[in-house]
Amino acid sequence: MSATDGMSLRCEGLGFSYEEAGVPIPALRDVGVELPAGRSLALLGASGSGKSTLLQLIKGLDAPETGRVVLDGCAPDSPGYAGLQREVGIVFQAPELQLFATSAWEDVAFGPRRLGREEAEVRRAVDEAMALVGLPPEEFAARHPYALSGGEQRRLALAGVLAMQPRLLLLDEPFVSLDPATRRQLTAVCSRLRASGVTLVLATHDVDIAWTLCDDLLVLEEGRVLASGVWDAEGSGRALRSTPRLREPFLVALWRRLGRDPARAPRTHAEAAEALR
Amino acid sequence: MRPAIAQYYPGDSVIHRLDARAKFVSVTAVAVALFLRDSFAGLAVFAVAAAVAYMLSGVPAVWFWRGFRPLLWLIALTFLTQLLFAPGEPFFSWWVFDFSWQGLRFASFLSLRLLVLVLAGSVLTLTTAPLALTDGLAWLGRPLRRLRVPTDELALMVTIALRFIPTLLVELEQIMRAQRARGADFSHGGPIRRGKALLPVLIPLFVLSFRRADELALAMEARCYRPGVVRSRLHPLHVDAADAVLLALTAAVIAVGLIV
Repeated sequence: MSATDGMSLRCEGLGFSYEEAGVPIPALRDVGVELPAGRSLALLGASGSGKSTLLQLIKGLDAPETGRVVLDGCAPDSPGYAGLQREVGIVFQAPELQLFATSAWEDVAFGPRRLGREEAEVRRAVDEAMALVGLPPEEFAARHPYALSGGEQRRLALAGVLAMQPRLLLLDEPFVSLDPATRRQLTAVCSRLRASGVTLVLATHDVDIAWTLCDDLLVLEEGRVLASGVWDAEGSGRALRSTPRLREPFLVALWRRLGRDPARAPRTHAEAAEALR
Repeated sequence: MRPAIAQYYPGDSVIHRLDARAKFVSVTAVAVALFLRDSFAGLAVFAVAAAVAYMLSGVPAVWFWRGFRPLLWLIALTFLTQLLFAPGEPFFSWWVFDFSWQGLRFASFLSLRLLVLVLAGSVLTLTTAPLALTDGLAWLGRPLRRLRVPTDELALMVTIALRFIPTLLVELEQIMRAQRARGADFSHGGPIRRGKALLPVLIPLFVLSFRRADELALAMEARCYRPGVVRSRLHPLHVDAADAVLLALTAAVIAVGLIV
């Protein structure tokens, strides 16, 4: 994958509420976060803590009631903002439910075509995106999306967003209900994206995958920020231990158990093996 | 987004507490009587009866208006065609059209009849929970089972369909968001372009609905659903004195309406 200039993200005092039977139910209260270009952020929190809502506000699918989302230093009222919003990619929970075209290739091409790209550029972007998610076009291009397996469908839907070449990618629970092999493939795709410079926001319950992929951390509880900043096991990461419905990454807990300094816990199994050898 | 038909306004009024079957029979009888009678006096009797029932239900008038508004076109069209084509002494002519007092009278009568019909119908649908209504219809349709019409199964189908409308609306919203994030545009262009833009939404929605229907059928079988077996009810229908009063009042209103 070619190198990308990541997009920086800053959320300021975001507030949002849903309405149920005329009564507003707050989903986010004064949420702020700062993510420099090219870094990756783990968005953690129990179900209903506001993770998905935050992603939708960042993409601009909902307008915040208070606060604003600043992209690449541009405020929402500045002229280039709509263009920047188009460079934010979002992959919803269970994105395989949005596949609709009659071939895998056509489905991935939908986004870049809607952006008005040249056909040659579309072709290049689609082929590259399909290869990146492990669905080589020479094998999968003509397949019908609904004839693919669940894991392949999930990766195809991801390719549909990657083909739009986002500079900021928002992933909502991408690892849910996947078998271990697909999970590994998807984790590998994420780390390749990260290495290429894309800014990444990963909302997930899988704290172990988040620990290997993410530099920064944002913990939400009932729509409020519980902890944020660089993910340091003994700093911002402490919030995970003190929240009953969350837990620390396995490797951090292991380091604690071994009597080693959890602040220096390894990020990957390979690093752990190296340290324990 | 709420379907305009079969809306239910939860409440605890006299009308809400009546049995669904009694209400259904009463409204149907009034509707039939409405079409048997063609005098303004009879119409006025039924209109007053329906209006009183609506007021007793305690449902805000705006709810009736919401259900009635989509029908305004139909009523306007009825009014116009009757006005233009009913035979009578013309008092005013323009091009090929003749306007007569008889035509005007007949057009107003038909429009008012439709209005009263919709009013009576809304009292039923606004004050009866969809589940109670389908249960009531299934009970009333029971004699048809002798003719091998699967009335209970039909009622269950209607219940499931009503139950899944909100679920499908939520899913529709999610798919639209996802496609909008991929650059789909649902709000610009002419009808053809907009229709085409809906394709990426409708296909996943259909696939999802069929999958859901399959899963629901399996889940129901796993929980021992058998078609044709008599099932018990969580809220059994239940008739009391108020329902008898309703039926007696309905008979009286119809008698008066047909005689005056």
